[in-house]
Amino acid sequence: MTCMPLHRPRGSTRRMFLKTSAAAVGLGLVAARAPAVLGQAKEFKGVTLNGACFQHAYTNVLKEFLKEFEEKTGMRVNFETPAFPVYNQRADLDLSTRGSAWDFLNITFIYSGRWIGAGWMSSLEEFLSDRNATPPDWDAGDFVSGAQASLTDAKGTRYGFAWEAGAMIMAASRYDLIEKAGMKMPETFDQLRQVCAAVDGKDGVKAFVNDNLHHWHWPPYLMGWGGKVFANPPENLTPALDSREAVESAEYYANLLRQYSPSGALSYTMDQGALAQRTGRANLRTQAIAWLAPLATAPDSTVKTTVRFAYMPRGPAGAFPGSVSHGFGIPVGAKNKRAAWEFIKWALSKEMVRRAALEKGYIAVCRKSVIDDPQYRKNMTLNGQDLAALYLRVLEESGRLGYMKYRVVPVYPQVGDKMHKAIERIVTNQQPAREAMAQAQREAVLELKKAGIKIDA
Amino acid sequence: MKRALAGRRDRTYTLCLLPSLVVLAVVTLAPTVYLVATSLTPLDLTRPATALDFSQPSGNYALLLHDDRFWNSVWVQAKLSAGTVAFQLVGGLALGLLLAVRSGFVEACRTLFLIPMVLPPIVVAIMWKVLYTPDISPVHSALAALGLPIPALITHPDWALPAIVIADVWEWLPFTALMVLAALKMMPEEALEAARIDGAAGWQVLRHVVLPYLRPALLVAGLFRLIDSVKAFPLIYILTDGGPGTVTEVTNYYAFRQAFNFSYLGFSSAITLALVAAVFLLSWWLVRVVGARGDVE
Repeated sequence: MTCMPLHRPRGSTRRMFLKTSAAAVGLGLVAARAPAVLGQAKEFKGVTLNGACFQHAYTNVLKEFLKEFEEKTGMRVNFETPAFPVYNQRADLDLSTRGSAWDFLNITFIYSGRWIGAGWMSSLEEFLSDRNATPPDWDAGDFVSGAQASLTDAKGTRYGFAWEAGAMIMAASRYDLIEKAGMKMPETFDQLRQVCAAVDGKDGVKAFVNDNLHHWHWPPYLMGWGGKVFANPPENLTPALDSREAVESAEYYANLLRQYSPSGALSYTMDQGALAQRTGRANLRTQAIAWLAPLATAPDSTVKTTVRFAYMPRGPAGAFPGSVSHGFGIPVGAKNKRAAWEFIKWALSKEMVRRAALEKGYIAVCRKSVIDDPQYRKNMTLNGQDLAALYLRVLEESGRLGYMKYRVVPVYPQVGDKMHKAIERIVTNQQPAREAMAQAQREAVLELKKAGIKIDA
Repeated sequence: MKRALAGRRDRTYTLCLLPSLVVLAVVTLAPTVYLVATSLTPLDLTRPATALDFSQPSGNYALLLHDDRFWNSVWVQAKLSAGTVAFQLVGGLALGLLLAVRSGFVEACRTLFLIPMVLPPIVVAIMWKVLYTPDISPVHSALAALGLPIPALITHPDWALPAIVIADVWEWLPFTALMVLAALKMMPEEALEAARIDGAAGWQVLRHVVLPYLRPALLVAGLFRLIDSVKAFPLIYILTDGGPGTVTEVTNYYAFRQAFNFSYLGFSSAITLALVAAVFLLSWWLVRVVGARGDVE
């Protein structure tokens, strides 16, 4: 029988000390040569990052994977995603006071000129030129240049990276009803009106729906009619809202909403508009592709087998589908800029964008490497339709013709508000189109005067 | 000696008051002075240099005079205030009289009637948004099931403002009811008894005894509600965003939009000052009318 010693011999303690010391030195050496990410995990531990963006399919994907980022970096992320108008209002207010409420924010397309021009967003060049902050394989050059245009100033300084290149197309959630009426997806404004008249109310489905962002939805109809928002943006910002084309297109678009949309559609947010289509309560909608693709892919969609996509219908002057890009950036007043950049890098890494596209069916991606991926092209073939091709066509056409310049001028939010209100007045029969657009023109001129912008007499 | 003591006492009083006066000046006076100063500049947050541009001090006010949307907002404000105050006074009076009945059941109900008033305004707004949205509203569903479908009230130009009035009245009716109830509790029984002994019928007691007694309380309640109606915000923000068009865009909301959507702080300050002046004048007139009758001290 052996007895356990009550006390360890002295030699054993010395050996342990030597072993421990050697291990500590070894670990120190490994840590010194370890990849940056291990160091970052400690660097961001305890950091609480506050950020916001409007609610969108891509933000839903990010939220789903956010835990992974938090575990990897040790930071905690408060990621707010209110509705589009609410987000813009709050972000604009915080940025205008150079506040520090948020560490990263979405740079909304219509506000990009205003926020970047006023110096409210931080340049990202410092991070991009630092190899420790941005490893070369993150590949900033992989982003579609068109999507980056509104996030870059005239000198080429980058203030954000795009997570959405929005391209407006048309979707019919119940194409079967259109076929039953002996018609096809409308290619012109006239055909759109005829299809709406033919299928409205069939099977309890309203023919058309859109949400309450008329300053986004109406301009493609205006330009299709041959009209303009401004005389020649960005040089000449004289509003052109009372032109004959503006009046006719406003009347046309308002009529789609008045006659063929569900009751209460005038107050619909983007979510509500999407839900109306996904649940099969409304049929046609012209909106950004990211809102329409889920009709074929979302688990709760009841119209997966009947959805059909098409290019934006054309008017007498052509087709001018809206295109936008939204990107993440860092406000100048942010408290945790380095940590915010870490989040942006993660949220827009090739891996995350690829996962969003291939695993979650997100279509409006901005990384060329993902768009060119055969798997992406295959996944974006929905109901036999190549959505990726539609998407690229819109981006290329808007870039080639440059008709979206009106939307990134700093005073667009003000002028857009006047257009929005005018459409509401026409839809609800408060004013005839001519009167409503004349009022919008007067109000827009007043706004531009307030902003100190010179316009034509 | 006496004068020296009085002087020392005055100085002590002044020193004691000084901290409060300083706090008052910082909290109340300074922002007001800043508001007035800002209204004299074209301050636009996207152009920080405009903060000190006093070259056209009346510029914002001149713009205001020619701004159709501002005048529309004033008219909307007048309709909203008139609607909410009138319904809250009449309804609050009825509810207060009802709740004054001595009964265990009614007393238990009093707390329930107070719930709308203590709910956060944003919660009230969201609740009404649900009720007014046809897709999810139980009211719309029930009426549709009965074969009585109604249009979406908050997007209907004739109904959007009444829809806000209904929600506001629901929220603040208990306030006037509470004031009426408190006044009724203080009412001397003798007056009622004397009227009854003289053979007055129930409605005569109400008309000639109760209502004159309640008038000061109703006027104070009306004044409070009037001032509060000018500050209407959460309901409009959540329910209609001032629309459809500008049907529900009150002056307060228009000022908010100018400041926080477009960063025109100078112009927004001018609107705010105009609003403050209007409320002040209206309140002063009401108090004078009431004061002249000797009803309210």
